[in-house]
Amino acid sequence: MAAPGATVPAARIRERPRWLEPLLVQAGALLLALLISLALGAVIIVWYGESPILVYSTILKFAFRDATSFGTVLSIATPLIFSALAVAVCFKAGLFNIGVEGQFLVGLVTATWAALHLDFLPGATLAIAVLVFAMLGGMIWAAIPAVLKVKTGAHEVVTTIMLNGIAVSFLAWALNGPLKFTETEGAFNVDLRSDRFADNALIPNIGELFGMKDSADFSLLFFLALIAAVLVWFLFKRMRLGYEARAVGSSPGSAQAGGISIGAVQIKLFLISGALAGLIGMQQLLVDKGALVQNYEAQLGFIGIGVAFLGQNNPIGIIFAAIFWSVLSRGESGLQIDTEVPREFVIILQGIFIMTVVIVYQVARRWAARRQLAREGQIEEMEDSAASVDVEGLAREDI
Amino acid sequence: MTQHDEAGRSGAPPLVVLEHITKKFPGVVANDDVSIDLRPGEVHALVGENGAGKSTLMRVLYGMYPADSGRIVIGGEERKIASPRDAIANGIGMVHQHFVLVDTFTVTENIILGEEGGPVLHTEGAEQQVTVLADSYGFDIDPGAVVEDLSVGEEQRVEILKALYRGVDILILDEPTAVLTPAETQELFANLRQLRQDGKSIVFISHKLDEVLQIADRITVLRRGVVVGETTPAETDKSKLAEMMVGRPVLFRLEKPTVEIGEPVLRLDDLRGGRLAGLTLEVRAGEIVGVAGVEGNGQRELADAIMGLRPLEGGSISLDGRDLRGLTTEEIRNAGVAFVPEDRHEQGLVLDMTLWENVVLGRHDDEEFSGTGGVLFIRKIKELASRLIGMFDVRTRSIDVTAGTLSGGNQQKLILARELETDPKLLIAAQPTRGLDVGAIEFVWSQILQQKAEGRAVLLISAELDEIYALSDRIVTLYEGRITGEYQPDAAAEDVGRGMLGRGSTETTG
Repeated sequence: MAAPGATVPAARIRERPRWLEPLLVQAGALLLALLISLALGAVIIVWYGESPILVYSTILKFAFRDATSFGTVLSIATPLIFSALAVAVCFKAGLFNIGVEGQFLVGLVTATWAALHLDFLPGATLAIAVLVFAMLGGMIWAAIPAVLKVKTGAHEVVTTIMLNGIAVSFLAWALNGPLKFTETEGAFNVDLRSDRFADNALIPNIGELFGMKDSADFSLLFFLALIAAVLVWFLFKRMRLGYEARAVGSSPGSAQAGGISIGAVQIKLFLISGALAGLIGMQQLLVDKGALVQNYEAQLGFIGIGVAFLGQNNPIGIIFAAIFWSVLSRGESGLQIDTEVPREFVIILQGIFIMTVVIVYQVARRWAARRQLAREGQIEEMEDSAASVDVEGLAREDI
Repeated sequence: MTQHDEAGRSGAPPLVVLEHITKKFPGVVANDDVSIDLRPGEVHALVGENGAGKSTLMRVLYGMYPADSGRIVIGGEERKIASPRDAIANGIGMVHQHFVLVDTFTVTENIILGEEGGPVLHTEGAEQQVTVLADSYGFDIDPGAVVEDLSVGEEQRVEILKALYRGVDILILDEPTAVLTPAETQELFANLRQLRQDGKSIVFISHKLDEVLQIADRITVLRRGVVVGETTPAETDKSKLAEMMVGRPVLFRLEKPTVEIGEPVLRLDDLRGGRLAGLTLEVRAGEIVGVAGVEGNGQRELADAIMGLRPLEGGSISLDGRDLRGLTTEEIRNAGVAFVPEDRHEQGLVLDMTLWENVVLGRHDDEEFSGTGGVLFIRKIKELASRLIGMFDVRTRSIDVTAGTLSGGNQQKLILARELETDPKLLIAAQPTRGLDVGAIEFVWSQILQQKAEGRAVLLISAELDEIYALSDRIVTLYEGRITGEYQPDAAAEDVGRGMLGRGSTETTG
């Protein structure tokens, strides 16, 4: 059973640079996952008696037909980038921060408090203070599971899930109590909300500069999210803490024997994660609404888990994953107007996409690993036997 | 040697013949026209260095890799073996170095897994069968015991029984003694002799030459994918075998450098906690102290305690008079302690990270390698990595590959390079040559002796008596967390052996 493929000269295989291989596998897997998801989605669309082409083109049209549409997509993506980064930061050290949702909600509360009570701050410093308070709120809420984990060994998945529930109630209490509106004009409103923030607490809408209408809610916050992604990338690529975190994440024993304090690393990462989570709510708080409202958009912390996964916990990947996700979300409203398919179809499609990516990535990884094993694992072994001969300077001989 | 009586059976037709097997991986020929045969009632040892192709050959036989050319003949007929399932159907079983057992299942449940024979389990009947099977080969095992409660040696017996339960005649054991204590090894050998008596054919893959000489009837030596010779224990000895394997003479005793033994560097006094039960020990400058003992008597705890990786209940640790207890691992390292851990995957390297990232582990916060702002100086780290990899002859294509792609010997060299670069006062070397082949062992040993020559203190912890004897200036035995005896390097192995079982002199060193 001679396999001709096995006799390919080594030189031909090395033509492709080594770093390119994993990227190609990833890109290929992603493309494949996309095609499979779209095909599965098409089945559901046909079941509804609609044309898949119409549905998909509607989604694309609503995302890309003009600057305002795309601006809206980016505005939807902004909180998702923060959220997915928060998830990814913890994940790199092997921590599962399921509490991003709760940290985001607490950030909403602390930021609202700052916007209402620090209104003596001049100009943009108020907006900056509000952002800082949002991060502080997230950090405080993230510190609880972090300390519990390090001091008592309580698993962060359990504690963060519990804390999410408490955060929901905390926000409801704050909105009913200390943060409840005092303006009389709002008294007729059935909806519970805070007082409106001063203008200088808000993040300016800059959509106009890019030819977008105000309705796109496109603000500097998007660029802040991009900066955050670059900083996270830098943290893991170039900084001591990121290095320690990766070591702790993939081999806690070796990290510890190397003198790294696992607990300290875990707490620091949870705090960074919490700070990022605190910023998730700023798009709706400081750009869209200008006040904390009762029907705030929730679940963003959970969606971040999916987006982080799509982006493979890579900060740059996360930016694209968030935008992709938002294209679909934006398409929701289009479906209602132009097709017979219910808007929930988008949620189904997003779910299909995540599951497909899970499966396709796994399969692709195994495939790549097998390829590598067949190709390189043995070479390493052979090199070793040669190496031990070379120890004493003996020439390597070919047999 | 009783082997000769067994060898008389070699007149019987071989059970399996591997003919002209060639297996190429691009750039490398793992097996080049290899032919061997396996006869009933023999232990056939396959020896060779890591990468010599012995595991590849057996994986071809076990259906894990397809051969590029050559044939497998079983009972006179050529057979295609495309999967382990095929192999088992053809009477071939393999026990891998890393066991594949379900920890929460009982011995019986593990053995019948995949062979349940219907939707309803007949556990009692199966247990009966397993008992009969185990008894017939003298395997000491409780079929109802849960696997997670078993020792490593017992788990291995379960793996072997798993294969026997499936009715195999040929049993391939890949480095079976790598995970065993000396006593467990002897027990395994007793089992293997019983199997041989029963006409089974056993392939014993190993690079521990003493063991091969003890158990094998025939020995086939592979070097770089080629059979370089076949011999028997009667015709050869350890150094001849090693020379066949490596292709040059190998020194099993290295010249110990003569160095004046200096002041005590490490003092351990009455360490207690976990398995440690009042351990007192001293290591001096220029001295190698070998801690001998059966594994599980506190070796791991001893190293971890000195490194600050494990809390202690009592006792004191001092380095050059400085109290180390209560310091963090980082502070202990900075005080001048280098550590080669017994498990290089768990405590030595981060396998997913690159070589340069591993080389700086533990020193990444030195001023030299990262700034006050917390930014790593990657260029400097890479320079260090390139230099060390050259100095210690770590075989790799690049410093950007992950540590997991290196072979065991090269991983150990990488750790040694990292640990010795810091100019330590004390080196703790725990099982430093575990899993390495003879060439790599020689390198590691010479590096440890080099530390002594430079006047450093070395605490050598090893389960291999050979290694203890080859390197130590002073031997102590560790039993149930205490030092149970102290010996000169010319002491009889029997005496040291008694100490390892707690029956030595009970005096401890001062």
